[in-house]
Amino acid sequence: MDNNDPRKAVIVVALVAVVCSSLVSAAVVLLRPMHLNNQLLERSRNIMQLTGLIEPGQTREDANMLALFKNLDVRMVDIDNGAFDESIDPNTFDQRRAAGDPRFGVAVPADQDLAKLGTRSRFAPVYLVWDGSELRRIILPIRGAGMWSMLYGYLALEADMNTVAAASFYEQTETPGLGDQITRSDWLAKWRGRKVFDDLGDPVFAVGPGRIAPDSPAALHRVDALTGATITGDAVTSLLHYWLGPHGFQPLLNQLREQPPTQAATVTTGNS
Amino acid sequence: MSLKQYVTTPLLKENPLTLHVLGICAALAITNSLTSSLIMSAALTTVLIISNATISLIRHHLPSSVRMIVQITIIASAVTVIDQLLTAYLPTAASTLSVYISLIVTNCIVLGRAEACAMNYGVGRSILDALGNGLGYSAILIIVATIRELFGNGSLMGVRILELARDGGWFQPNEMLMLAPSAFFIIGFMVWGIRSWKPEQKEQPDFKSVVLPREVEGR
Repeated sequence: MDNNDPRKAVIVVALVAVVCSSLVSAAVVLLRPMHLNNQLLERSRNIMQLTGLIEPGQTREDANMLALFKNLDVRMVDIDNGAFDESIDPNTFDQRRAAGDPRFGVAVPADQDLAKLGTRSRFAPVYLVWDGSELRRIILPIRGAGMWSMLYGYLALEADMNTVAAASFYEQTETPGLGDQITRSDWLAKWRGRKVFDDLGDPVFAVGPGRIAPDSPAALHRVDALTGATITGDAVTSLLHYWLGPHGFQPLLNQLREQPPTQAATVTTGNS
Repeated sequence: MSLKQYVTTPLLKENPLTLHVLGICAALAITNSLTSSLIMSAALTTVLIISNATISLIRHHLPSSVRMIVQITIIASAVTVIDQLLTAYLPTAASTLSVYISLIVTNCIVLGRAEACAMNYGVGRSILDALGNGLGYSAILIIVATIRELFGNGSLMGVRILELARDGGWFQPNEMLMLAPSAFFIIGFMVWGIRSWKPEQKEQPDFKSVVLPREVEGR
């Protein structure tokens, strides 16, 4: 067939599209188990750093890290009423998929949707870190729309359910060099000791504006803004206000403050 | 040209970065670390070889009206597969390179070689040309990354070479080298050096300045 024939153009494009898309699909499907394993490892590294059980920057062998992670006390929370729900296995529950699942998904009312989620899962895994029989920290999963991408992270609070112990973002594709500074460990380290709620119990923790002098009164609830990352920084503020607000983990935190959780008998303390 | 020359010419004489000034964007972004640069170089060279070989193979059946679409589809597929392989086998490095692996699709060198070489010549020559251009690009990336990481951070491939002053050593790093604009200066100096050594690489000026004759006043 002649190259100038329009039918040939259609045929060539269709053939190339079919061949290329099969190759790409095959690569994605074949490599999926490895991707999932890498993600689990990455998540366990991330969460273990927030527990305070291992020193910041300290690395462990992959298998060791996974073992420590599996030992953590993880509970499923019904976000709507703030109660633990033991009917769901937190190890197999996929919070991201659940957001779009009619059985677990909850629409976020537009006036409360600070994190621009649309829907969120009704259930979420939270991690309780024990120091002997004392609760040391609680780790909450958080997410929200940034400038380009969904930001996924964790917020660790001290046992008073108000003081930030640590925070991290483990998945984002914000502008390299600008928005992706939210993953910088020196910046996240500044979150430590900040209070997320004001005296009335409303979430007020915020990023910026500008530099926050460490000894100023503003420093109680604020951390430095990131240069060139105003939109991403504001998105972090908004998503924290959502997840610490009445539609987020506020009911859970209020209940835990009134009635501290008890350690499950089967869980060994993570001091290994 | 002999077969060997297809590979060696793009190394210095027709280097894609210093002569054609293509693919600058990634060269500025990722050369603050030698490891990233090596992975980027390998990824780009592989993509170039795959795209040049495939496009050369089907070049006689590419109607010119849809030529570019087909080329970009092939390049994008190769890049996606390589991105997937990197995230599976080198997850840490892949997350450091973030979007820059996917951005190989828009690297002008790949489409440039597809148009200039693969559309006109056989598979063998196209593969050698791709290898040469990939290596030419890699050479510049590695030189720039070595300068930037060594003098900007005192390390190479993450291994400490010079003891930093802030850790009690003697070396005061030039932190500007960690920022993208420094690569501009380094590449600029390299282009200057190469063109002074090989003046035939100098471009003809786009405009000539002309001294206008002073208007004659008739009054």
